[in-house]
Amino acid sequence: MNNEVYTFALKSTLEEIRDACPDVSSTFIFKDGQILAKDETTNEETVNSTITAFNAMAERADVIGSLETVTVQGANGQVKIACMNDFYLTTVSSKDADEKYVNTLTQVLVPIVIKLVEKIHPASADDETFTVEPEPAEEELVEEEAAEEEFAEDEVTDEVADSAEDEAYDSDEAETATEPTDEQETLEEEEIPEVDDELLLPEPPVTQLIVENLGGLLVPSDTVRVDKALIAEWNEIYAGKKLEEVDIETRNGKTTRCKFKPIKDSKHEGKGIVRIPEKIQVTLETTKGELVMVKPVVA
Amino acid sequence: MVKKKRSIHETATAVIVDDVTSDEEEQVFADLCRNLAEIRKEKAVVGYIVRNATSATIDLKEPEKLVEYAILSSQVLDSNQEVSDLFELGDVQSILLEGKEIKALCMVIDENKIGIFMEKDADHADILKRVSP
Repeated sequence: MNNEVYTFALKSTLEEIRDACPDVSSTFIFKDGQILAKDETTNEETVNSTITAFNAMAERADVIGSLETVTVQGANGQVKIACMNDFYLTTVSSKDADEKYVNTLTQVLVPIVIKLVEKIHPASADDETFTVEPEPAEEELVEEEAAEEEFAEDEVTDEVADSAEDEAYDSDEAETATEPTDEQETLEEEEIPEVDDELLLPEPPVTQLIVENLGGLLVPSDTVRVDKALIAEWNEIYAGKKLEEVDIETRNGKTTRCKFKPIKDSKHEGKGIVRIPEKIQVTLETTKGELVMVKPVVA
Repeated sequence: MVKKKRSIHETATAVIVDDVTSDEEEQVFADLCRNLAEIRKEKAVVGYIVRNATSATIDLKEPEKLVEYAILSSQVLDSNQEVSDLFELGDVQSILLEGKEIKALCMVIDENKIGIFMEKDADHADILKRVSP
């Protein structure tokens, strides 16, 4: 799912919650330490500090079976950080807020919106990815043109056939007319220039993925890892072609070409991520959580 | 218990004053321990940690996890003070952490930092009432 779609849907939901509960002073949603959405009144610095505080607790919460919810009750209000579908919703409410009403609203509305957004984009629901459709190949265009010419020729043939007075002549001539003459064949050959195989290949599909760290002793520093499904998609487009490398481009315009392999770890599959070794991240001046454009390089 | 003493030096004479608050603190701590010991008897409560600057009382079902519980409750109190400051919540009355298996109720009463650990289905609101002054 593209981040913008989530952000828009969740931000609108948070605004609605605030409108429905005036005692809710601040709401925001984060995932994996990154802000996904926040209402307009909430300061980004405050959100980041809260995430840092939450992460510090979560790191030490193995003893209680990993952290799901934190509720801080203060003299003037309450902060609640609750886990919903891998997202963490933070709600800050005053002491006058109807806790049950706020909880019911947030715990029903937010998961519904998340599910709805996922349903609207089922193919890319988990991977925060959008794929730009490749433009039609030159080969396809040539075929289409040829089909159009053939259709025009057929029409001319029919007209000739209709106007013919002699039936025998009509049928014989009509058949003859549809068959291309030597001259026509020569013309067609001249009209269709020889096209290099590479030019006939479709444009590489560009996929937006989120950077995830890739580390370890045996990890080659020149190879990134992408989803098997994405590789399968590329292989389908470029059947028979060798795909060994990808071009990666950051939003700042930094690009690099490197080898790729499928993601091995099932927990990283289908998440719309590209696992990049630190060395390549440095080259690209990117870090975990940032978006990059990835496209295959056709050998 | 050893009484804390504070010495106040003036120009010529030294006056030794008994720290009256110390007695009160000790009393609060003792009351808390008694309260928590009662709460601990409940089946759903898996343990508690209460500590102040000079003393600590710990009763856990799984003593081998003492360090983990202690670090968690300490981190929770520190982190949430920060959260409280960020959102101007005022004095933190209680913090409830819900994990997949256990939930923890943390609070500060006077100078005493308390962490009570219980099963997910335990009535934490009732426990909070019983501990709160």
